[in-house]
Amino acid sequence: MTSLAVDCLLTDDQVADFVISGYHIVKPSFSPEFHSNVYSKLQSLSMNPGDEINKAVPALDQIYAHPSVVGALTSLLGDAYVMAAHRHCHRNHPGTRSQMWHQDNLNIPMLIDGHGRVPDHVRSVLVMYYPQDVEANMGPTALIPGSHLFTSSPDRNASQGNFRDQMIATLDAGSLLILHYDIWHAGTANTSDKVRYMVKYLFERSSEPEDPSWNHDPLQDTRILDRLEKDEAAALQRSLISKRNYLRTKMWNNLAGSAQLKYEYKDKWAGAWPQPVK
Amino acid sequence: MAVKQRLLYLSTQSTDPRSPAISQALHDPVKGTIVEIDPTLGSLDYESVHDAICDGWRVVHFPDQRGALTDSDVEVIGFQFILEKMEQFDD
Repeated sequence: MTSLAVDCLLTDDQVADFVISGYHIVKPSFSPEFHSNVYSKLQSLSMNPGDEINKAVPALDQIYAHPSVVGALTSLLGDAYVMAAHRHCHRNHPGTRSQMWHQDNLNIPMLIDGHGRVPDHVRSVLVMYYPQDVEANMGPTALIPGSHLFTSSPDRNASQGNFRDQMIATLDAGSLLILHYDIWHAGTANTSDKVRYMVKYLFERSSEPEDPSWNHDPLQDTRILDRLEKDEAAALQRSLISKRNYLRTKMWNNLAGSAQLKYEYKDKWAGAWPQPVK
Repeated sequence: MAVKQRLLYLSTQSTDPRSPAISQALHDPVKGTIVEIDPTLGSLDYESVHDAICDGWRVVHFPDQRGALTDSDVEVIGFQFILEKMEQFDD
């Protein structure tokens, strides 16, 4: 890893944000012309190259090798992460309708281990690159923050429509959306007159952490533990809250290796009596 | 014009009809339409099932009162109520 990428490692709070919400946004510093050239190249392709999209548009590999991307991926997957063979370019034409909420497929044979849902670790991430501005009417990616901790029921998702706390990824050209592999997401309708591209790469962890691979400060541990217990990502039924908090802490600890959070019992009830109701 | 059934699926934080709504899907009786995720949605149409009832919707399906199954292999976010409203629609 270059010193530039070391400077781009995530902070404790950014890693906690990812554990809590399941996504992180990076915007590498390329010129607007760079991204418009990628867009033009994608527009010129006569067919979908599938996994070979990086050979058809070599500039894509530059984006994924940018220090800000390498720093974020190293923080989440360790410094020996690998690029999976599967890539995909989504061409979203005007008039494309909304997808249903889904988790990506588990059975892509070229992925390293075939994948199972991993709600307590970060073993794989999706990295979505958008070469153009994505306005709300251009089919932005939608996701449900925090849903990566749960296994969805596709049959039931079909009837859920809009979530109160859904996140709509309206982004500037050149932004990358890094997602936990298991997050519930969907492409939305493109009601504009513009083609919207999204290029998806997958990256995978190749070794288990011995230490945090991000810019870790152990003095933040108590505060981070508090965030993992209390921060809201999206509204859930109460019966899932304890499972959510357990998975968050386990995910952090699986990422942190030897620097695991230590739960210490605190008597939070001792103190002043409640005041009489007026 | 004909009276037709509109369906509103509301998922809520508990089985209490006054609990906050988490998600909604509105099915109007118009051929060719689908429920789409709306990127411009500011908020859900109703804060709760009770809020929708006050606006004339009628519950036709209540969620299972036993609550969530904690050892289930899959999770469903929210308890789903299905409501209907009969309204005039063009054929």
